[in-house]
Amino acid sequence: MEVTKQGQYIEFGIKNEQYAIRIQDIHEIIKMQDITQIPNVKPYVKGVINLRGKIVPVISLRNLFHFHEEAYTKMTRIVVVHHQEDTVGIIVDRVNKVTTFSDIQPPPDRVGGIDGNYFTGIGLSDNGLAGILKLNEVLVREQE
Amino acid sequence: MLSEYREVFMEELEEQLQLMDEEILKLEQSGESEQVIQSLFRAAHTLKGSSAVMGFEQMKQLTHEMEHLMEQVRCKKLRVTSPLIDLLFQSLDCLKQLKKDIELHDYTRTDISGCVRLLQAFVDPAQPDPSSVLPELAKPPLHMAARLKVQEAQEHGLQVFWIGVVLPSECAVKGARAYVIQSNLNEWGEVLLAVPEAEEIDEQSDDLLQLTFLYSGDHSRHELQHLVSNLAEVAHVNVEPIEAGETELIIAPSAMQPRSDNDDSLQTGKAKSQTIRVSVERLDHLMNLVGELVIDQTRIHQVERMQSRLFSDDSVNELGQISDHLSRIISDLQESVMKARMLPIEQLFNRFPRMIRDLSRDLGKEIELIIEGKDTELDRTLIEEIADPLVHLIRNAVDHGIETPEQRERSGKSRKGTLLIRAAHEDNQVVIYVKEDGTGIDPANMIKVALQKGLISPEEGEQLSDREAIELIFRSGFSTAHTVSDVSGRGVGMDIVKNHIEKLNGMIDIQTTLGEGTCFKIKLPLTLAIIVGLLVKLHEQTFIIPMSNIAEIVRVTLDDIQTVRGQSVILLRKQVIPVAWVHDYLGIPKQSKGKNHISLVIVGSAEKRLALVVDELIGNQETVIKSLGSYLGKVEGIAGATILGDGKVALILEVSGIIHKIGGR
Repeated sequence: MEVTKQGQYIEFGIKNEQYAIRIQDIHEIIKMQDITQIPNVKPYVKGVINLRGKIVPVISLRNLFHFHEEAYTKMTRIVVVHHQEDTVGIIVDRVNKVTTFSDIQPPPDRVGGIDGNYFTGIGLSDNGLAGILKLNEVLVREQE
Repeated sequence: MLSEYREVFMEELEEQLQLMDEEILKLEQSGESEQVIQSLFRAAHTLKGSSAVMGFEQMKQLTHEMEHLMEQVRCKKLRVTSPLIDLLFQSLDCLKQLKKDIELHDYTRTDISGCVRLLQAFVDPAQPDPSSVLPELAKPPLHMAARLKVQEAQEHGLQVFWIGVVLPSECAVKGARAYVIQSNLNEWGEVLLAVPEAEEIDEQSDDLLQLTFLYSGDHSRHELQHLVSNLAEVAHVNVEPIEAGETELIIAPSAMQPRSDNDDSLQTGKAKSQTIRVSVERLDHLMNLVGELVIDQTRIHQVERMQSRLFSDDSVNELGQISDHLSRIISDLQESVMKARMLPIEQLFNRFPRMIRDLSRDLGKEIELIIEGKDTELDRTLIEEIADPLVHLIRNAVDHGIETPEQRERSGKSRKGTLLIRAAHEDNQVVIYVKEDGTGIDPANMIKVALQKGLISPEEGEQLSDREAIELIFRSGFSTAHTVSDVSGRGVGMDIVKNHIEKLNGMIDIQTTLGEGTCFKIKLPLTLAIIVGLLVKLHEQTFIIPMSNIAEIVRVTLDDIQTVRGQSVILLRKQVIPVAWVHDYLGIPKQSKGKNHISLVIVGSAEKRLALVVDELIGNQETVIKSLGSYLGKVEGIAGATILGDGKVALILEVSGIIHKIGGR
């Protein structure tokens, strides 16, 4: 019962921390691709990719959370999410698994140096904690 | 249910109004011509029919009066005079207003009574009060059988007359009376046609009743007049000989029978059976699909090239052939779909003769309009978009460019100014010229005005070249007219022109010679959905510059680039063009030095030019513009993106944005 009520999440990692996105928000997860850079945009917007003929912008969570940049590895993935009208790719260091949380707690003001507004809550599972991303905040549209 | 017809009706309305516009102009220019009058009559008639069906009563009423007026002209009761033509134009404007009403509100609310009264008064000036007017001799149009009878009678040496008989309203048994008159006439000669037929007469009606007969016999006009007047209960008699024009065996008038509206639409229906109307949405969708195909095709081509480099066997050869064939088909398909969206610019150009006529009248100028290249085709969205800027340009040309006849005479020119509007295809682009032989633009004067209006500082003014001074005309808030007329001179015109053309990825050029005239040249892409782009490399990244923004490509040595006021410039055919390293703007590392030659792509947007330094020129390619999506929104300097043959995304530069950012200062 708990499980269906709270739903499933995709858990992924950046640095040594775990984050999660609700599974129904996720379109697909793809390997790293050639990214075409775009000038004059926010630094965390890495560019655009060609997703089967569709042009999809890609952002880096590392940059967004002000972690220092690191080279992409074999484990690097792009999590493509649907959000409102947009399709956006989010670069993460690795994708761990599909998971459920036994408990979700409201986010503190700051989560390990990151603005708490980016999260809907902190999920507790057997493996430990994961910050559940609030896509509304993460994918704030580029302001002029 | 009706809405389906409504669209058809609106299209027809548009067509017929356009036609009337042209024909009235013709009438004014080349005087009375039976063909033109006929055509006007038919247009009015057609509209009368269709507006009655659609229930637009006012439009029906107005077109009815116009039809009636044309009828009078047609049977030579009225001469074509300039008041008549003015009246026709006035009525036409009234119709256009009605059309606008229908478009916006679905019902008509313009007051047409004034116009109708004018029309009625014009037809019968002696008795302007319609209630007391004796009905005109209403000659019904003749159908084929009647025409043949008339001809036959004439061949037998008989006279053919129209006889109009008015029965007084107090006449009790009108039907019988009509019957008596007709049988009397039949004794003297022969009644070829009677309108209305005796059986059709409404006995209850209290109105005056007018009977019209077509009669052949050997009496003279006076004898007949006398004979008929002496019959009982006849209030008024009018006898007129038949006109030769009425009996000509032409096909058209058969469609003018009161009840023949159906035939009419049948005829137009037949003429149009070769075309169907397709919604633009569907065409857009088709265009998008073709765009996808174009992308895939370039990818297949790329794969095929790679394969042939690695292997050489039959299957690779075959892949090559298929790929070639596919690319031919796709480019044909693309062209066909593009053509389907294209319309001749005629649609737009046809508005101008009327506009020029009105303008020249209002402004007291004499202008000869020359239109060339009417059949030049371009994308229909472009036609819509370019209409406003063109109208502004033309108004300006007439208002500010061409002088009054007196001024022209004084400067030794012919009284009549010439305005040339020309469209043509040049290198896969559409070029539109608006050229007049007026005053030309005086750079010194431009600077003076700009200073007065505070658009530039005095220092700036001193540094401007003639060309730059002339281009001040595109600054917002600039207007050189001494008096503000309602034609132009609101100071927004040229500004709007520039913005529109920029939006369409076009360019505008001014060539002007003081005292000899000015020529505006507008360059537009053929279509907006697929562009031909120049692929260039900046550092490692490929970018696309829309071909329509490219003026030329030059290779220069580094020494050719000079610095003026801290700005790198290049002198090209006496024109100073600022040079920009887009690398800086796009945040791309500049190519290592040591190269003697650099390639410059001279780009333009509206009137501005800029030379972009690129590292490598790759070639031309048709590209489909894809948006970057709403997440990124509008990115400065980037018009969109496309997918290249290798599957990579390439950004399309937005030249106008870059120029504003870099070259604007």
